[in-house]
Amino acid sequence: MTKASDSINKLVKKSFGKKNIKTLAFIIISLVGFVLIWWIAATLYNIDYFPTPDKVYTAFINSFTHNDPTLGNTMWGNIFASLKRFATGFLLAFVAAVPVGLLMGSSKILDGLLKPIIELFRPIPPIAWVPIFLIALGFFWGPVFIIFIGVFFPLMSAVYFGVKSVDPVLLDAARTQGAGRFSIFSKVVLPSTVPHIMTGIRIGLGIGWMCIVAAEMIGAIGGGVGYYLTVQQLVGNYPALYAGIVVIALLGLATTSLSGYIEKWLAARMGFR
Amino acid sequence: MILSIKDLHKTFPKEDGEMVAIDEFNLDVEEGEFVCILGPSGCGKTTLLRMIAGLESPTSGELLLNGTQISKPGSDRGMVFQEFALFPWRSVRKNIEFGLEIKKIAPDERRVISQKFIDLVGLNGFENYHPNQLSGGMKQRVGIARALANNPMILLMDEPFGALDAQTRNLMQKELLRIWKETGKTVIFITHSVDEAVYLADRIIVLTTRPSRIKEVFEIRSERPRDRASVEFANLRKEILLKLEQEVVSTPKAVNGA
Repeated sequence: MTKASDSINKLVKKSFGKKNIKTLAFIIISLVGFVLIWWIAATLYNIDYFPTPDKVYTAFINSFTHNDPTLGNTMWGNIFASLKRFATGFLLAFVAAVPVGLLMGSSKILDGLLKPIIELFRPIPPIAWVPIFLIALGFFWGPVFIIFIGVFFPLMSAVYFGVKSVDPVLLDAARTQGAGRFSIFSKVVLPSTVPHIMTGIRIGLGIGWMCIVAAEMIGAIGGGVGYYLTVQQLVGNYPALYAGIVVIALLGLATTSLSGYIEKWLAARMGFR
Repeated sequence: MILSIKDLHKTFPKEDGEMVAIDEFNLDVEEGEFVCILGPSGCGKTTLLRMIAGLESPTSGELLLNGTQISKPGSDRGMVFQEFALFPWRSVRKNIEFGLEIKKIAPDERRVISQKFIDLVGLNGFENYHPNQLSGGMKQRVGIARALANNPMILLMDEPFGALDAQTRNLMQKELLRIWKETGKTVIFITHSVDEAVYLADRIIVLTTRPSRIKEVFEIRSERPRDRASVEFANLRKEILLKLEQEVVSTPKAVNGA
């Protein structure tokens, strides 16, 4: 537009850039410090199940480039197997949790009827279902439903809370504009809950990821990152075991930060922030 | 007569019995009139407006809009809120078109109508902005346009400029008078600012503290735009302030402290 607004823009970018560099510096210092302490501790302890970072790094690279002798596939195969279970379980949970949350938030009767059941099941750790699910549902659908349980409750609660926290002034505004129950639901309640749904997704992704690894460690056929860990423990390949943990950390970080990014983007795009 | 209120009475349940918000309230509003309802804070002025809007129902008494009993909210009464109450996920244009969508008006026609009101409130060039990108004054322009887009019989304004800074507030008062003249709408405007009421109204209804009754009615015949620095303006403001002060002083402490 004008020169003044241009220079303001530049100033904003500059200070924003500076802040980013600072954040990045902290991240680097923190991680380098962590690896150094790990290295020193592992060297001092000098025990086979506590390898130094360089050994883990080599095992990490190897796991992607070479087939694992026991499992017969590379890490890519395990990641793919885990992600397939994860995505299936997550989508099923999403499809179930969003409508249930919306209905419970909107109807006092449904809220009253479903709440006792939900409050009964919610405190059960998803992992507690592993033994029965593996027998009843098998090695693919078993872990899938563990994820379902892990994701369903936080997501449903977030949606429910979203419906309950719709700004009452917006409801009044819609009513004075002639909106009936259905229009209010579709044009006010539903869009209002979008940020809450996104928060629920982010929390659900984190919990779901923990569930899949745990479920696979207890039993999985056809690979999986969790299964990889169990196998490496059995054969005593400790650097590879740590490499598997690093893979889990990186994938978990990627999924939650991606969803965090989408959450922010969508909120800004929809005009909430 | 566009609005007729007869023997209106409203009580709210309380832990120990009930609280009378409005009592023995009678008011007739002529078409095209600009009525300000002025009262100490905590009196039932917002409740009164919400009843006209149909958002609350009276305990007893009659509310007639153009001869028909008001029973629920409807687009024949446009409401402007102090908190703006814009839909954050909708653009300026989409906010203004909300009521038209409810009425299932075709998109082309919606656009023509919304453009007319965008022009009227001076928001040209901001059609695709979202509320969070607008200043308070601009937000309320959207609020006014959204209320008018339904072509209501009456415009209900609940302290619409209460959240704005002093300069913006004065500008918006001027703008509102221009819009009022151009549209010829009947306006019922709630405020606790004497200055605002004297600047805007044809008639000022001063309410008592709870339970709200009409304390006094002032008719203002002087030409608009009114000069805030004039002796006439100052005298009227002083007179009304005096009436309001009596109300605040005469309120029992226990109630006032609530």
